Amino acid sequence: MEKSYYSLRNYKKELILGPLFKVIEVIFELIVPFLMKYIINEGIEYANNGNIWHIIIPGLIIILFCILGFCSTYVCQYFASIASQGFGTDLRNRIYQKVLSLSLSDVENLGKSNLINLINNDSNRLQLSVAMLIRLVIRAPVLVIGSLICSFIINVKVGLIFLAIVPLILLILGIIIYFNSRQYLKVQKSVDGIITYTNDSLNGARVIRAFNTKDISNKKYEDLTNDYFKESKKANLVAALVNPLTFLIVDVAIALVIYFGGNLIYKGNLTDGDLVALISYLNQIFVALVVVTNLVVIFTKAFSSKKRVDALLTKEETIKNNPIYKDIKIDKGDTLIFFDNVDFKYENAENNVVSNITFEIKKGETIGIIGGTGSGKTTLIKLMERFYDTSNGSIYYKGHNIKEYDINCLRDEISLVNQTNVLFNGSIKSNLLMGNKNATLDEMTTALKEAEAYEFVNKYDDYIDHEVLENGKNFSGGQKQRLCLARSLVKKSQLLILDDSTSALDYITDFKVRENISKIDDLTTIIISQRTSSIHNADKIIVMDNGKIDAIGTHEELLNSSILYKEIYDSQVKEKEHE
Amino acid sequence: MNNFKILLKYLKRSLKSVIFSLICCLFFVPATLLIPFFTGKCIDVFTETMKQVNPDYSLMLQNELRYLFIICGLIIVVVVFQYIFESFVNIFIERTIVYLRNDLYQKINNVSISFIDSHLHGDLVSRLINDVDNVSTALISGYKQFYQGVITIIFVLSFMFWQNWLLALIVIVFTPLSFLLSYIISKKSHIYFKKQAKEVGDLGAKTLEDFENIDIIKSFNYGDESFKKFKEVNDSLYKVGRKAQFLSSLTNPATRLINNSIYAIVGVVGAILVVYGNNINIGISLTVGGITTFLQYASQFAKPLNEISSCLSEIQTGLASLKRINEIFEYNDDIDNGVIEVKEEINSLMLKDVMFGYEKDKIIFKDIDFEVKKGQKVAIVGPTGCGKTTIINLLLRFYDPLNGEINVNNINTLDIKKDNLRNHFGMVLQDSWIFHGTVLENITYGKQNATMDEVIKTCKSANCYDLIMRLPQGFDTLISDDEGLSKGEKQLICIARVMLTSPDFLILDEATSNVDTRTEANIGKALDRLMKHKTSIVIAHRLSTIKTSDLILVLKDGKIIEKGNHNELLLEKGFYYNLFNSQYR
Repeated sequence: MEKSYYSLRNYKKELILGPLFKVIEVIFELIVPFLMKYIINEGIEYANNGNIWHIIIPGLIIILFCILGFCSTYVCQYFASIASQGFGTDLRNRIYQKVLSLSLSDVENLGKSNLINLINNDSNRLQLSVAMLIRLVIRAPVLVIGSLICSFIINVKVGLIFLAIVPLILLILGIIIYFNSRQYLKVQKSVDGIITYTNDSLNGARVIRAFNTKDISNKKYEDLTNDYFKESKKANLVAALVNPLTFLIVDVAIALVIYFGGNLIYKGNLTDGDLVALISYLNQIFVALVVVTNLVVIFTKAFSSKKRVDALLTKEETIKNNPIYKDIKIDKGDTLIFFDNVDFKYENAENNVVSNITFEIKKGETIGIIGGTGSGKTTLIKLMERFYDTSNGSIYYKGHNIKEYDINCLRDEISLVNQTNVLFNGSIKSNLLMGNKNATLDEMTTALKEAEAYEFVNKYDDYIDHEVLENGKNFSGGQKQRLCLARSLVKKSQLLILDDSTSALDYITDFKVRENISKIDDLTTIIISQRTSSIHNADKIIVMDNGKIDAIGTHEELLNSSILYKEIYDSQVKEKEHE
Repeated sequence: MNNFKILLKYLKRSLKSVIFSLICCLFFVPATLLIPFFTGKCIDVFTETMKQVNPDYSLMLQNELRYLFIICGLIIVVVVFQYIFESFVNIFIERTIVYLRNDLYQKINNVSISFIDSHLHGDLVSRLINDVDNVSTALISGYKQFYQGVITIIFVLSFMFWQNWLLALIVIVFTPLSFLLSYIISKKSHIYFKKQAKEVGDLGAKTLEDFENIDIIKSFNYGDESFKKFKEVNDSLYKVGRKAQFLSSLTNPATRLINNSIYAIVGVVGAILVVYGNNINIGISLTVGGITTFLQYASQFAKPLNEISSCLSEIQTGLASLKRINEIFEYNDDIDNGVIEVKEEINSLMLKDVMFGYEKDKIIFKDIDFEVKKGQKVAIVGPTGCGKTTIINLLLRFYDPLNGEINVNNINTLDIKKDNLRNHFGMVLQDSWIFHGTVLENITYGKQNATMDEVIKTCKSANCYDLIMRLPQGFDTLISDDEGLSKGEKQLICIARVMLTSPDFLILDEATSNVDTRTEANIGKALDRLMKHKTSIVIAHRLSTIKTSDLILVLKDGKIIEKGNHNELLLEKGFYYNLFNSQYR
């Protein structure tokens, strides 16, 4: 599996040419002091004899080189922007697709906010580092090495001084980077703490006011920001060393160069023009190094981003699609789903979430599943949709092991309405089309009617073009639930699963919806509910208790055979019996 | 510029630091700028010495060492004071930003609920975090560059003019060109940066929505479609991002071009002046050392201007962010006109002719009239969207009614201090709120000094003791809104939290809809115990809850259409009667 740098594959040309053009600019820059030296030495001499062209022409050549250098850089920056942005775009696409290809349990293990950050933050850092790599990282070493070579050309002895300072500066930089990269992790951690706390507080704005904990909340926030301040202070104290220390080394070198240079001039081994050039080169090295130090922080962050992105890109999917069977048709009364002694537990968990699950669902049946909180009802559904694979035992779909059935086909044939009703930003229509992208207006209207949502949707002037805000917050809980129902109904699948999907509806609407659904042809329905009233007409009811099946039967059978079921039933409708 | 005023307010707090950093700057910047001067002097010593017929080494050494000694002294000054300056500025500005952050957060806790409801959550977080970061970045680099820049420019200008006014003139005339160039480039690139910011925002929102709800996308096999839409936004981002980056990356090369050209011109003119300067007696003579000095100064002069222009984009971003932060500060605090404090328990709650709508032209309900007496359990039922949750907003004074009164113990709630009023209510909302922290922290949120015994007792009553004990670290387990607990378990923790504070008036908003009926029955028993001498309003769909209420209010189409207890309402054979019977069909 390819890592992050794979996204550079289309930009090999830019990766090579970009820095190359930068190097051309650097070469021009390195020649300039030589030309200036000429002006100062030979140029002034010629001028003293009346010929100023030896001053003017080199001057013009310098300007020409500057312009050529700029053009060169222009090309480099152009390549850099294409390569880095293209890399970033490609990387983001790959991350997105990879996340979608992973199973739900993989995604949950990696952490959804972590994955979101990969696209929002980490890919940007990597993108920036590619740009800096092409534009700046090549420039500095070439400039430094070039200056070193030029200084040696002018005078070997002085060149040695140059040679000494570069490793010294790199050593100091190295130490500072080492210390600070660890410190920056601590700083980042405290920033994460502040973000989390801010998020929580906005979510709990009402609770904070209702419990009158404003002062506590403010104080806690102050503690968090102070913690951040302490950590960043340490980082700052160290980071601030970089510029002064670099300056110290370079300027001491200048002083040394002047001292030794003086001797050499006296002995006639050096001219003053040479000295001017040497000081020029020293300054160039200094400037180049300052740029590098500023880049170090960028690259440290980019490196940790790379690790995170690679961790995602190289992850093996735990649920693989093995499409041996697809599009199978079975008749009413045939076995649609069969759970054969199924156990399931989360990766790294000790206990099973569900165990010894065995039951059968026939095509055309209406099945009810009831049980307490955490009894495993929703897990059964996730196993049916192959969001997870069983730890033990097998699930058979239409007679074949579910692992051999094409996953995409499986999910096309199943419609799920889950507990948390989520609508996507867009319009009612765009949400309905998620269920079935080829749905006609009639089909959508039918689905809305079946979900008892037509009445309120029809009241909008723009009907199904009506806007849906972030998470459907412009609708009440019950309206959202009915729209989610409609979305699943428009899919016209073979199996409809309703996971506590009428909890926000009153009994009348709940009944109407169930009635509408029961009228749909050729539909197998699974209803998970807390209310016996929603499932007492089912062909079969599965009662779940603490991850195991307590009993299976019809409503009447269960009243006799299952204490648990009777308890639930009694607590809901006892009164009626006495009347 | 108004936006800037608020920043000045914070900087004023650190006035001593501002002055101190200025003084540091006044030490090291001139010191840095004097080094080239003395370097030039050294070179002049060499030149003069070599001109002599019999160069005097010891004299040269003596003069040279004098200057080198000064240079070393200057180096030390620079190193020490630059370090103090850089570290000091970074730290004190970070501290200033911390003050800003704290005040901003406090403001969020002070504003009314309607402000929070009417803003996108993500947008508010962005202002508190990202915008403050932008201001911090802009302030740090802008501040440093400003001080260094102004002092450098003044010093170098004066110096250059003092040395050789002709060359100084050349430098002054040409240098602003680089500044102008980078300004033009930044203006052009700014358009693309703005577009880029928008695309980044769009991409972020899409990613958040898709990844948070990936199970829905998978179950609808919507992955390919989702990716197509993602790719579209990603491609738009590429187009503007590329242009933004390319244009802004031209800034430094462009300024380098101008600066190096100036370098060349100064060199040429300087060389000519060395030769002919003495002939024309207008004070433009120059030595070789003088050229070196000037060359260095020419680049020093350009530096601050370039630095400022390169941090222009940071400053622009910072100003835009400052505006967004100001918008929060300018918003009015939640007004509390209440003065009365109710010391005793609530023994009556009365709504008289209450009318309310979040917007004046969309009235949610009106003519709401009912009374809750101490010890009563009142249930409000009705179709979804009819305003039941809104009543809670009014009772807790998150919003105030447009018309009518809400009275507590015969006092209008508008006259009661909000804090005091809210102390009387215990509420469990439809969406449970669990924050990042331990189970214990979450439960003791309303009563921080509760003893462990109290906590355990309450948890047993709320039936969450067993589930807590099953968690990896029990009460010390770290939980949050999106991991660790199922929806039902979160509800139980929230119920325990309220039970611990033992309020005299309970408000439950469909709190038990995600808890199975068996658990709910158990909680119901515990709540009954709790509610024995207390009053409560329950908003629910569960008939098992409502049928044991003392009073049932049926809310439909914005009005209370039926009032009474379960048996009375059944006799009426109205809406409630139909609702109740539909569970048997």
